[in-house]
Amino acid sequence: MAGSTTDVTTAAAADDPAVGLRAIRALRELADRLEALQVRNARDRGWSWQQVADALGVSRQAVHKKHARSRKER
Amino acid sequence: MFERFTEEARRVVVLAQVEAREAREPCIDATHLLLGIAMAGGPGGEALRAVGVDAARLRTAMREVGDPGNPLDAEALAALGIDLGRIREAAEAAFGAGALDDRVRQGRRRPSGHLPFTAHSKKALELSLRAAVRRGDGFIDSRHLLVGVLDAEEKRADAVLRHVGADPGALRDRIAGSDAA
Repeated sequence: MAGSTTDVTTAAAADDPAVGLRAIRALRELADRLEALQVRNARDRGWSWQQVADALGVSRQAVHKKHARSRKER
Repeated sequence: MFERFTEEARRVVVLAQVEAREAREPCIDATHLLLGIAMAGGPGGEALRAVGVDAARLRTAMREVGDPGNPLDAEALAALGIDLGRIREAAEAAFGAGALDDRVRQGRRRPSGHLPFTAHSKKALELSLRAAVRRGDGFIDSRHLLVGVLDAEEKRADAVLRHVGADPGALRDRIAGSDAA
């Protein structure tokens, strides 16, 4: 479904570090934004920071530091 | 502040806005200001040309560098076989319109009217005023704007300049040096 242009891009760009590194960066950004959505949703549904942290495989402090600040939660 | 802008400095801002709009970007960032400076044909553009930077090279560099300030890059993800459009659709179906957008970038839903400045480009404008005051100038021209852009240290603008072989710090020193002379 991704289309043939995507396949061509992948083939053409596979060994170009500029394209590869830029893709990694985009991937991280995408993961971060999806994480923000999921954490907000989990918190809205009453998950504790500890539960969110366990699900993400990180420490409670890490997840709290990353997400609580922007949402003005304690 | 804008009332102190020279005609040519105003043109920089107008051109920056046109560039941002044509690139379908939601905000005017410092890189668009840089392009405006290169195109407006004043002292800022001359300072850029002196180090081999012109609008055509900046545009190419912007495409190649992407936007380090907004790395949610559909093209880069497509190279990995990831369809950002479909992920965006799914996220919006679950969490509402604009769910995947950066809060700062939500101006995207405004196709007409003036585009807002990013925090860095706003800062660049403020710092251009400071550059003018420092020189004792009662006006702000494109050279002051260039100093403002360099002082604002936007990641994208710095990366684009480095990509065309101009070191932002060295360029800044060069302009400051000619001020002192």
